[in-house]
Amino acid sequence: MLVYVLRRLGWSVVVFLTTLLITFGLMHAIGGTPFNASESSSVPLAAQWRLEAYYHLDQPWPVQFAVYLWHIVRLDFGPMLSYRDASLTPVMKEAVPISLQLSGLAAAVAVVLGFPLGIGAALRRGRATGALLTVLATILLAVPVFLFAELGRDYVAATPLATTGWGSLRSMWLPVLVLALAPAGYVARLVRAGVVEALGEDWVRAARAKGLRRGRVVLVHVLPGALTPFLAAAIPMLALLITSAFFVEQIFRIPGAASLFIESADRRDYPAILGLTAVLALLVVLAILAADVAAAALDPRVREARR
Amino acid sequence: MIRRLGGDLLRSRAGLAGLALLLAVAGFVVLVPWLWGPDADTIDFAVAKQPPSGAHPLGTDFFGRDLLARVAAGGRESLGISCAALAIVLAFGFLYGAAAALLPPRLDAVLMRLVDALLAVPRLPVIVIVLVLFGLNTSAFTVVVALSVGGWMIPARLVRLELVALRQRPFVVAARSVGVGPLRLVRLHLLPNTLGVLLVAAFLELPTLVLSEAFASALGLGVNPPTPTWGNIAYDGLDEARAWQVFLPSVAIAVFTIAANLVADGIQESLTPGGTTWRGRSGPGTGVERAVRALFGRPRRPAEAG
Repeated sequence: MLVYVLRRLGWSVVVFLTTLLITFGLMHAIGGTPFNASESSSVPLAAQWRLEAYYHLDQPWPVQFAVYLWHIVRLDFGPMLSYRDASLTPVMKEAVPISLQLSGLAAAVAVVLGFPLGIGAALRRGRATGALLTVLATILLAVPVFLFAELGRDYVAATPLATTGWGSLRSMWLPVLVLALAPAGYVARLVRAGVVEALGEDWVRAARAKGLRRGRVVLVHVLPGALTPFLAAAIPMLALLITSAFFVEQIFRIPGAASLFIESADRRDYPAILGLTAVLALLVVLAILAADVAAAALDPRVREARR
Repeated sequence: MIRRLGGDLLRSRAGLAGLALLLAVAGFVVLVPWLWGPDADTIDFAVAKQPPSGAHPLGTDFFGRDLLARVAAGGRESLGISCAALAIVLAFGFLYGAAAALLPPRLDAVLMRLVDALLAVPRLPVIVIVLVLFGLNTSAFTVVVALSVGGWMIPARLVRLELVALRQRPFVVAARSVGVGPLRLVRLHLLPNTLGVLLVAAFLELPTLVLSEAFASALGLGVNPPTPTWGNIAYDGLDEARAWQVFLPSVAIAVFTIAANLVADGIQESLTPGGTTWRGRSGPGTGVERAVRALFGRPRRPAEAG
């Protein structure tokens, strides 16, 4: 197990470094010297100097990359372009935790909504209820998230039940719910597929033949079998959450990382975009690592058979 | 093969429904701008923000533009962009997959590791970054490029899997043993045999591309206004807090997504007689699951190792 974890960890580090190398390369691709005043006159001269000093632009690029890495490791993301004196780190320290909170809560809600939906759809398969639940899950996935967000903002956030922004319970429940909808649909489809398969297995038939109650069969015998593929779905779910967060944060005026990303994109604030990308990459890599390790912990075949 | 495929598709209920829906959307998008009177870009403030009426069955937007015309014209733009991106994605995916399958195993491993890593990256931020690199001076062309950058990995992987299986088949071995070079081998023997996989990849990838385009546009980063796309119409609706105007393109997108997935399911079934090809622990999955997997990377199935 330890060897497996270490190997996955090594792979994660390689992936993360590669991503950073790509973002670093992109940074350089934006013009030979990225902060050349003649090319982007919108950058104030003072900010330019700060950037040149920060990125050691008078050094060869391997040195620059090493410097960049060293900065990232210390969570120092350098200056922003959009605000004259702002450095990115404190801005990110405010925005990133908000997004993590939002998506963490949404992931939990998605599981809470998706599991019953998927189990119900599987147990009632071939009947009207089952079809209805399956259609519901499909709709949650196929309808673009901005429609749900807009409906929530127009019809619920306008009432005393909820507000926009972030911080109080009154402002948090609605965006969390909207953000959870598409992942909930995804979880439901996965759980349904897993449960349908498990229902056909011998051990489930044996459990039912023993005369166990239905609830116990589902909880104790069916669900654990459906759990491993569910873990493997962590990555698509993370991606769904991130994609949806872009809209949810914008529409409900939540000052999170996705809002910051879009704002920076609008203002062509390259350092901010790349800093956020680095954080995003770290998040994705960690999620993959966690999912892999959890899968290995649950299923010995995984840790033994991997090359 | 195509004829058999058509027959199978027409026999499967889901495939037939999907095909009919797709044709309906295509017909709507092609015929409405042609037959319907009001133009998508004609501004008339006298009729701004109207609810549905006889003259404007779907109402009008902030500028008094007819929403029926705009949703249809927007669909034409969105689907056009997505199809162009699809062509690039399939072509590049095929070349990459073929290269991986035919190169020495060591290089193959490196290439596929790269695909694994890229698949884990969420698509929307990548698309936004590419659009920003173009300076947000967004035309249909830049959107096509951005979508392509985010979407070639699944076709590449599917093609490689198929070619690795084909590589050991007698006819390929025979061709190689009589000295057929790699390019000729790909063109005459391998490409024709991957058409089925490419077709599945196309229908899985298409809704993803449409959705990605809509997301980018709805963030205000897509094709510049006044060109309507489904995402642009939604963006205006979000801007003015008009749920109705967000609802219309959303429904169009949802219908298209579901239809394309149904067709992909039908094709898949037709290509793999007897139902499923493999019984992974997560099961073969339904179309939407596969679309999500295609969109955001495949769940890494532990069973693959066993």
